[in-house]
Amino acid sequence: MPKKNRQKFSSILKNNLFILGKVAKFTPDYFVWMVVEGLVWGMINSASAIFSFNLLNAVSNGSDFAYALKIIAIMATFYLLAYAFDKWYWLIRNPLMRQKLHLKMHAELFSKAQTLDLACFDDPEFYNDFVWAMNESDKRAIDVMEDTGKLINRIVASSSLFGLLLTVDPIIALMLFVSSGITVICNLIGNKVSFRHNKESNPLWRKKNYINRVYHLSDYSKELRISRADELLMKEYDQNNQKIIELDVKYGKKYYLFYGLGWNAMSTLTFFAVLLYMVLQLGNGTLAVGGFAATVNVVWSIRWMFANLIERITNYPKHSLYIEKYREFLRFTPEIKDGIKEIPPFESLEFKNVSFSYEFASHPKYKFHDDDYKSPTNVEKGKDVLKNISFKLTSGEKIAIVGYNGAGKTTLIKLMMRLYDPTDGEILYNGVNINEYDPVCYRKMIGTVFQDYKIFATSVAMNVMNGKYDETTDYGTVIDALEKADFTEKLKTLKDGIDTHLTREFNDEGTNLSGGESQKIAIARVFANEYPIIIMDEPSSALDPMAEYNLNQSILKYTNDKTVVFISHRLSTTRIADKIYMFSDGRLIEEGSHAELLEADGKYAEMFRLQSEKYEDCKAI
Amino acid sequence: MKKKEKKKLGFKRTAANNLFALKAIWEGSPSYLIVYLGSSVIYAVLGFLSETYLLRKVVNGVQSGEDIGSLVTYVAFIGITCIVVYQALQWFWNVMSPPKQRKIAANIEKMLFRQAAKVELACYETPSFYDKYVRAMDEAYDRTIKVMRSFDMLIDRFISLFANSLLLFVIDPWLIVFGLFPLLLGFFKRMENIATHDHQAAVKPINRRADYVKRTFYLGEYAKEMRIGGMYSEMLSALGDTFADYKALVKKYGIKKAILGYVQKIGLEVVTVLGATLYAVWSTMCIGPEAGGMQVGDCIVVLSSIGTISYCLNNLVQNFAEFGEHALFLEDVRYFLDYTPAILDGDKAMPSYGGDLEVKNLCFKYEGSETYTLKNITFTLHKGERIALVGSNGSGKTTLVKLLLRLYDPSSGEIELNGENIKNYHVGGYRQSFSTVFQDFKMLSLSVRENVLLRPLTNGDEQLVENALRESGIYDKLSGLENGLDSILTREFDDEGVNLSIGEQQKLSLARVFADSTPFVILDEPSSALDPIAEYKMFENMMKATEGRSVIFISHRLSSAVLADRVILMDNGTIAEIGTHNELLHKNGKYAAMFRRQAENYLGNEVTANA
Repeated sequence: MPKKNRQKFSSILKNNLFILGKVAKFTPDYFVWMVVEGLVWGMINSASAIFSFNLLNAVSNGSDFAYALKIIAIMATFYLLAYAFDKWYWLIRNPLMRQKLHLKMHAELFSKAQTLDLACFDDPEFYNDFVWAMNESDKRAIDVMEDTGKLINRIVASSSLFGLLLTVDPIIALMLFVSSGITVICNLIGNKVSFRHNKESNPLWRKKNYINRVYHLSDYSKELRISRADELLMKEYDQNNQKIIELDVKYGKKYYLFYGLGWNAMSTLTFFAVLLYMVLQLGNGTLAVGGFAATVNVVWSIRWMFANLIERITNYPKHSLYIEKYREFLRFTPEIKDGIKEIPPFESLEFKNVSFSYEFASHPKYKFHDDDYKSPTNVEKGKDVLKNISFKLTSGEKIAIVGYNGAGKTTLIKLMMRLYDPTDGEILYNGVNINEYDPVCYRKMIGTVFQDYKIFATSVAMNVMNGKYDETTDYGTVIDALEKADFTEKLKTLKDGIDTHLTREFNDEGTNLSGGESQKIAIARVFANEYPIIIMDEPSSALDPMAEYNLNQSILKYTNDKTVVFISHRLSTTRIADKIYMFSDGRLIEEGSHAELLEADGKYAEMFRLQSEKYEDCKAI
Repeated sequence: MKKKEKKKLGFKRTAANNLFALKAIWEGSPSYLIVYLGSSVIYAVLGFLSETYLLRKVVNGVQSGEDIGSLVTYVAFIGITCIVVYQALQWFWNVMSPPKQRKIAANIEKMLFRQAAKVELACYETPSFYDKYVRAMDEAYDRTIKVMRSFDMLIDRFISLFANSLLLFVIDPWLIVFGLFPLLLGFFKRMENIATHDHQAAVKPINRRADYVKRTFYLGEYAKEMRIGGMYSEMLSALGDTFADYKALVKKYGIKKAILGYVQKIGLEVVTVLGATLYAVWSTMCIGPEAGGMQVGDCIVVLSSIGTISYCLNNLVQNFAEFGEHALFLEDVRYFLDYTPAILDGDKAMPSYGGDLEVKNLCFKYEGSETYTLKNITFTLHKGERIALVGSNGSGKTTLVKLLLRLYDPSSGEIELNGENIKNYHVGGYRQSFSTVFQDFKMLSLSVRENVLLRPLTNGDEQLVENALRESGIYDKLSGLENGLDSILTREFDDEGVNLSIGEQQKLSLARVFADSTPFVILDEPSSALDPIAEYKMFENMMKATEGRSVIFISHRLSSAVLADRVILMDNGTIAEIGTHNELLHKNGKYAAMFRRQAENYLGNEVTANA
């Protein structure tokens, strides 16, 4: 059952006013200029119609040339001034104000994004809306501004022209007024139809775009060549295009009904009716030729202006839908509540009966979906990723979290860092629940090398110091950290040393590091900052066996007094830990030192044997 | 030197490119093109008849004392004609035309798809080519329709301009002077275009910077780091910094553009329109019809049609700019379509039984690269043999595999199958004799079955797919989905699509190897996302399934190399060592060292002690 997609008038008004309010707040000058520009052009448009009305009258009434000259001179002066203003405004003033608005709206969204739970990034629906808000909201704001400016302009101009017509002949004014009313209604209905059409064809366009992407993204290029996937995609494409066409035909008929039969026929009919009416008046002498021509001119102008006015007005409901989405995004409040407690030096971190599930998929916290949206049927998302986990980590300890893929290792880390809050149970830092601390301060206690670490477009030093690098920072700290991360060799080749700009995003001279080198920078981060707790989330995944070996040695060497958590499914990396926690299917199934666990001959022992058995052969040699 | 790519095409090329589009439409459906353009002509002619011409007819009729009755009949006749014809046109434009346009656009897009699947992989790696290609692909569909609209507009404005000018000429030939004046403004227009173009080019790097900052905020992959460090304010201030640069550019180009635009506007609206108005008013009022000046009726017509002319001229300028834009884009399309793929098709049929694959003195370097990625590679993959390809990152393993698949052709040396250069075989058939799982395999947004086979399904495939999925150990999981093996994978366009984990995806792509019975199998790190138990099972099954087929597999974990008949150790683009696992261990070279290092982590020092 398709639901009605009707917006209340009040919400259309509210949403559009909301965005205008935003503009007025961020760039008051833009707002003022928009109104001024609309008024100025409204007056210019009506003035020039009134001037030509007078001129035509003057010509046919046989007034003297001086009078006609005066009208033309005034028109010329008007244009000279008006276009000077116009060009200045649109080419110099307006671009600057727009850009300012663009930046301010983005900064607001970014600050908002920064407060969001990480969980939001995993919820595809939320995430789409976020990216959407990022890309679209300022464009919408600008559209609403421009439309409003034009609207002011058209209202001023068309009401003064109507006024003029009323003084000439009220009957003509009435005929035009009625017909304009009807065209407005036809248009509004036509717009609704077009909205439904878009909605119905949207999934088809998504599919079409997807197929297009498969053909042009290099990710798919190999598969496309080595298989016959090509034939499959072409078939899908043809079927999809056929569906698009079917919708075109279905809605085309409706468009014809409202735009063709409704709007076009109505306005043509009115125009000729007015014309015939005036020709008849010419015949009985109540209207002079000049007056006739002048009136026809005004009728033309009104017809054109009205069409334009309607177009502008019908944009507002469209804007409103988008703005609603944007507002919804801004209203969204993060789940992770800020604590206020100061954070004491690290003694222990304890998990107490912690369970966790990625629940957002089953009950979206964030709602703005199309009416057709159904929440994903993927049951996996609702299930517990971690079940009843309890363990304690004390200062200086080196532990390893091991287990197969999907055992919940990475989720555990995200909980530990308070990027998510547990669904059940609690995490205690020095015996106090971590949600009582300020999350920003709490996170500063933990240095993490993520599996999917990122390098930012800034200097090496800034990257190593996590964005906190200025004159007061000790140069040696950075150098030392890079040395520990085995980056010194590469550093020598960099022209500007630790001030070298990384990536080419900002700077064409920037340095692009290889995957392995980038990882070393990410690792240097944990050495440079005095983190009491260090987490290595499978840091060796991008490394070949030799490099992996070196890294393990270096981590052991430099993290003497610190608390370290290793995460891996390669048991060769983790046997060095004081204590090993083996996870399986979201549960903590075994714990103990490497030797103890081998002794116990459980799952860990089995896994270790499997991984090492292929190497046994070489003992014989 | 290609410092600044030329961004403007000459008139000839612009015309040629747009005509190319028209030709493509003509080839799609000649009758449609004629009807479509014809409808624009009718519309324009009727527009002229019902506006300026009608006005003149009425005014002159009244002034010469014509019978009002016949004028009324005349107006009514034109009015009814307009309503009827407009309705017919509206029906055509709203109902009949869109499906036709879609079909034509789809044909053009499919032409690009076909070419896209044909060009060599290197094209994806040459940014200048790739950009063009993406632009062409991105827009082809919409652009085709836009080109038609531009032609429609051109016809309409041109007819209107021509008819109104003709009318003016008939009234007083001198008026044409005012009509010609705007042509002189073309010079300013060109200067303005250059300024606009330079401005756009200068803004691009600023936008690129801003886009980067945006990405750091909205991409999930940055989200963790943005939350734990001080990078947040650093990035925000980087965004704020772009404003000053933006402002400087507006100052630099905006003023220039404003002045140039102003001159043109004034030239058209004041000099032309008001000039002609003044001339007509003067001719009527000061000279008077008796002395050869204008009639009052004609003067009125001049006043209204000069406005129409200026409107059309304004619009035509815009219209030509559109054609310029189309041409730029069509340039990319044509370049892409005319491009001859470097991987040429051979004419020999691929033997279904495979055979010995012999690599001889093969060297390869990527386009634009100075160093060779592969140097002097020589080895033979015998029929039914299993070779493990090992070596550190960047040693050229994956590149070698791509050459074997003929995704690239060697820079020198050759690859032969049964003594015949692989270039001589039919490329599609040759590639399809391999079952390949790449490291960066991709799921397509199609059903599970289609993803396994990657070809249209035929009878008997159901069982094949089921067995293959069982063998790769993912059948239970997939058959338990709501739509079973017909479930659509990924949420690319289907909100109910199934997202599989990386490990599951890998198992699914391995099922391809089980499903096909191709003579060759290539596995590029098939186990990287699998845990050790799954890896162990996978290899066990894989060895069973590939019995009798020639296999090349790449792995980081040397433990799996033990399973191969021979091991090739690659180092820095060359084959460093080749032989069986035991031979290489005895040789005590690099392979042995690497193997021990990995083993040591598991087995402690005993290994080294024993060795």
